[in-house]
Amino acid sequence: MISIRQVSKSYGSFQVLSDCSTEIKKGEVIVVCGPSGSGKSTLIKCVNGLEPFQSGEIIVDGISVGDPRTKLSTLRARVGMVFQHFELFPHMTIVDNLTLAQVKVLGRSRDEAAEKGLKLLERVGLKAHANKHPGALSGGQQQRVAIARALSMDPIAMLFDEPTSALDPEMINEVLDVMVELANEGMTMMCVTHEMGFARKVAHRVIFMDQGRIVEDAPKDDFFGQPRSERAQQFLSKILHH
Amino acid sequence: MNDAYDGYGFDWSSIPGALPLLAKGLSITFEVTVTAIVVGIIWGTLLAVARLSKSKLLSTAAAGYVNLFRSVPLVMVILWFYLIVPQLLKSVFGEGIADIRLASALCAFALFEAAYYSEIIRAGIQSVSRGQASAALALGLTPGQTMRLVILPQAFRNMLPLLLTQAIILFQDTSLVYVIGLSDFFGTAYKVGDRDGRLVELLLFAGAVYFVFCFSASQIVRHLQRRFVK
Repeated sequence: MISIRQVSKSYGSFQVLSDCSTEIKKGEVIVVCGPSGSGKSTLIKCVNGLEPFQSGEIIVDGISVGDPRTKLSTLRARVGMVFQHFELFPHMTIVDNLTLAQVKVLGRSRDEAAEKGLKLLERVGLKAHANKHPGALSGGQQQRVAIARALSMDPIAMLFDEPTSALDPEMINEVLDVMVELANEGMTMMCVTHEMGFARKVAHRVIFMDQGRIVEDAPKDDFFGQPRSERAQQFLSKILHH
Repeated sequence: MNDAYDGYGFDWSSIPGALPLLAKGLSITFEVTVTAIVVGIIWGTLLAVARLSKSKLLSTAAAGYVNLFRSVPLVMVILWFYLIVPQLLKSVFGEGIADIRLASALCAFALFEAAYYSEIIRAGIQSVSRGQASAALALGLTPGQTMRLVILPQAFRNMLPLLLTQAIILFQDTSLVYVIGLSDFFGTAYKVGDRDGRLVELLLFAGAVYFVFCFSASQIVRHLQRRFVK
């Protein structure tokens, strides 16, 4: 469903991504990890065209992201994205956050959009907060709303960009639980995260990146069992044993 | 002895009779202020968006406009417009234009204030985190919808105290229309005082009225600031 082929990107002389390729099938859950500055967030943002790239191509559901003729807004409406800092719209209520794009992008009626939004809020356990503003919610609650907002567009795939790294430790699980549930329902997911417990539980494959390259792209059990590259071994030993 | 004589050598007796005239002047002052705020904010928003746009042509043109108007005295702009706009308006609308002074003052203030408003709004847009735009775009909103529905509402909210403060300054600055002989509140007070030989009294009275309006407005701004900036 998502093909990333020889994608490279640089800011001036600094190479952010070099020759990254991978293939994500429908229903697959991929975890992307690696040290900070390895390009994992940049790679995931290339998938929905939030970051431009200079060479290679990314095909999402048959549509080329880098093609200047592609209408990016149409493509993005079909791929959900969740950000590190939630990015709910602070000037709108929770339910308006969920209906805005449904109405403006998909052309749904206000009622239809609100009904869908409330159903999703119920699913993430936050229906009671529908008429509050985002500032009144905790970080974990905001992130669950952000996931519900992305789901309200009926996406064909979901991208997660470090969804738990801005959260207090006691709020991480409530967000991961929603993500696990989503994975179990068969959603195609690409998650940049350091939550190896989440990776072990639901990921099909783990991609390890370092210095803009995909160093390792292996089934979960292979990755945790016997990472081939020394860099991945070091990384794993650092985040698993302390 | 005059009833209005207060013992300090002032004679306020010409004010009551002049109130209808002064009220008419005040309405001109408000007309210029409100027009300049409304047009200034709309045009200023367009300028701010143009200045931040990726197009070199648009951003350079907007920057040029803003820098030009911010680098010349307002009094001069008012005079320029008085000398240029009447010809322009006449050529567009014919001779039927009612009040050439008012029309040129409205144009001058609206275009001048837009430059100041655009700088405030530009700062407001830049105060909204980039992540907000990313989130809106990721939902499939177009760049235009993102600006209109997500960025600008937050920019205006963040900049509300500054926008209102600018409106208060503008209200005071409208008194400069006296240079083209337009009878706003200040101009009317001056003319009445001059006519009755009571210039000091009329100018003190006018000053008190400006003070009451501006001081109450700035108290409202302070109140809003406390509510919005937590």
